[in-house]
Amino acid sequence: MPRYSVSDALVLRRTPLPNGDVVVTLLSEHGKWRAVARKGRLPGGNLARLSLFHDVTVQAYRRREDDLAVLTQVRLNGALGGLTRPEAYPYAHLLAELADALTVDTHVGERLVAVVASGLRGVARHGDPEAVALAYAWHLIALAGLAPHVHGGPTPHCARCAAPATILATADGTLRCVEHGDGPRDVWLGSEGAADLARTVGAPLREAIAAPARERERALRALQAYAREHVGELRALRSLVERNP
Amino acid sequence: MRYPTPLLTLIRELSRLPGIGPKSAQRLAFHLFNQPTEEVLSLARALEEAKTGLARCPRCAHVMATGERACDVCLDPDRDGGLLCVVEQPADVLAIERSGEYTGRYHVLHGALSPMHGLGPEQLTITSLLERLEGVREVVLATSTTVEGEATALYLAQRLESSGVSVTRIAYGLPVGGDLEYADEVTLGRAMTHRRPV
Repeated sequence: MPRYSVSDALVLRRTPLPNGDVVVTLLSEHGKWRAVARKGRLPGGNLARLSLFHDVTVQAYRRREDDLAVLTQVRLNGALGGLTRPEAYPYAHLLAELADALTVDTHVGERLVAVVASGLRGVARHGDPEAVALAYAWHLIALAGLAPHVHGGPTPHCARCAAPATILATADGTLRCVEHGDGPRDVWLGSEGAADLARTVGAPLREAIAAPARERERALRALQAYAREHVGELRALRSLVERNP
Repeated sequence: MRYPTPLLTLIRELSRLPGIGPKSAQRLAFHLFNQPTEEVLSLARALEEAKTGLARCPRCAHVMATGERACDVCLDPDRDGGLLCVVEQPADVLAIERSGEYTGRYHVLHGALSPMHGLGPEQLTITSLLERLEGVREVVLATSTTVEGEATALYLAQRLESSGVSVTRIAYGLPVGGDLEYADEVTLGRAMTHRRPV
């Protein structure tokens, strides 16, 4: 690996340190990596461009491959001011945390960074950031190869019989009927909720956003249960669910 | 070769401090080992007293000595009680105090909203802020100009909207003595957006 490298990246996480440095988690076409910006908390310098969710081009220096990279230059390509709106901010955190969790052990590919960037743009600008975040969250899960299996298109039926699906079995990612859904972590959706989930998971993003889940609280709980099973606990998602008890 | 257990324990404890990695922790541990005993014991006492002798002010959540009624700023009768400045950390209070331009009182949030780090409104001192608005005519939101600080300020502005109190945000702009050429795009953009007549 060359000592200096230049890449386009999204800032997924930003951890300021008391000595003025900032440790950032970046998502680029080459995967997810961490780097330190020396004195990145000081205003005015080019490293101050490393704000959360910023789209940046960074030059990084690494003496050995297993060293934490040190950022030496940062150029801002785009900042999404709309993400700080109270109605959008928690959903931007959800997408960033999910992308971070999906790339813990695996390299999901260069498409992931484009989808996360697109999702953040949607959350920043769309009038219904929750619908955008739900659609993109399921899409990111699908990109990682972890999408639930939906049988029967827009009116899904149980994975084990022909009865209408009403339950999400989180363990194997199938939709089930009342009779076949009895796992301890299964989530009740109802036939309407199952149809909404099938559409959100199966339809193209534009369609999923245009016809969002009708029962949002249930949709968030289903995403939380599924993510907990396959990705891990997402704190941003937990706070969204707890906000709507 | 294995280090003796007390040395390993010290290295482990030091490396838990923010910004201190294992190598720095080892360096500090050997430095402490080479210091006179009374100096090391004095440091240990200072650490203990800092933890047991400090508390949060019940009014503004700034740092105060344990056993006091409130912090120095809250007890100062010359402070303008109608002006309340909201900051993220106690260190921000000290920074604003150094400027010598502010005469009101403070409220320390102890963080900024960051759902992915588990920091929601309940984890900050927002409830106590909303409970101390009687007699306040202006709340100055002086959270950081990071995305997290900006989101916290917008959230607070929304929560304070119905209180009837005037809510302002600290000005954005260029650092004094800085050249435009070296300013980052976001700061420069904000400085242009929030320009004022002269």
